[in-house]
Amino acid sequence: MSHDELPVAARVRRLEERVIAAGLTTGDELDALLDELLDGASPVNGARMVARAWTDPDYREALLADANTAAGSLGFATNGYRLCAVENTPTLHNVVVCTLCSCYPVTLLGPSPGWYRSFAYRSRVVREPRAVLAEFGLRLPDEVEIVVWDASAETRYLVVPRRPEGELPEEELAARVTRKGLIGTSAV
Amino acid sequence: MTYRPGTLVRARPTDPDHHTRVPRYVRGHVGEIVERQGEWPLPDDSARGIAPPRVEAVYTVRFPARDLWGTGSHTVTVDLWESYLEEVSTDEP
Amino acid sequence: MGGQTGFGPVPTGDDGAPFQADWEARVYALSRALRRAGVFNLDELRDAIERIPPKVYLSASYYERWLIAIETILAEKGRA
Repeated sequence: MSHDELPVAARVRRLEERVIAAGLTTGDELDALLDELLDGASPVNGARMVARAWTDPDYREALLADANTAAGSLGFATNGYRLCAVENTPTLHNVVVCTLCSCYPVTLLGPSPGWYRSFAYRSRVVREPRAVLAEFGLRLPDEVEIVVWDASAETRYLVVPRRPEGELPEEELAARVTRKGLIGTSAV
Repeated sequence: MTYRPGTLVRARPTDPDHHTRVPRYVRGHVGEIVERQGEWPLPDDSARGIAPPRVEAVYTVRFPARDLWGTGSHTVTVDLWESYLEEVSTDEP
Repeated sequence: MGGQTGFGPVPTGDDGAPFQADWEARVYALSRALRRAGVFNLDELRDAIERIPPKVYLSASYYERWLIAIETILAEKGRA
């Protein structure tokens, strides 16, 4: 059986064995890298930044001016890329995509969901964002301008959704913010 | 060369046989500089193991959907390295 | 990929677990480890993904494309 015909799980196991045998990594290192992703990266982090921006005007200003520093001030590392926060308003809606691959601020949003990586999302949202957002159940009035951000270089984007109505404490606001809200495919 | 916000630029029509970060759908299209983001290594070089890679300014460039697709009222912003761009002379229609 | 047509509706419900199978997680971890070891950088990985023949690219899943790309680079560089 040729390499390509092996069931994919067996093929990955074989690759892992080869890479470890070559001294390029260890099983422990692979486990640690996965734990780092699964434990440290979460949309809860992005949600905390948004809820803080909703309740603290100084933080909002700092977030919009320099999002890496604003993330760092809450203890979130955003290494290796420039973070840019884009704010939704009553007349403007932001939505984020990476058409070339699926770049995305993993620390703040958690591992990317399947829909974000899908060919359908990557191909269509730059062309017909209104139709794509409607598939997510988000119907925007015609007068709302849509800005699509294609993360094609070294900037990763975080959408600041519109704050829900009502006087809620920061923790409750944070609990309302979803990953889709932070990418711009849903309202909060 | 530093492009200022508001400058009209064209994404160069290009189709290299290696990795690049100019999405096909903006190649040859005119957009407006929104912001100069800073300087970053050029991925066309780092993808080919060229060390050190060229380092260039990266710009946020906004394209009207109508120009890209013939339809749509939205805008698409794309982040482009300086060598991907050429200035559009103001007397061009 | 941007602007192409014909991919149908967005799988909006595919919003759950980051990995559909254990092997996908291992591919992710391998890519991180090999970058850390200096075997390739992220742009080389992206390039190798984009060099996958279109027929294979479109029929492979996301992490299958990563797997193919990693195998390709290791073969080209004669590492492991």
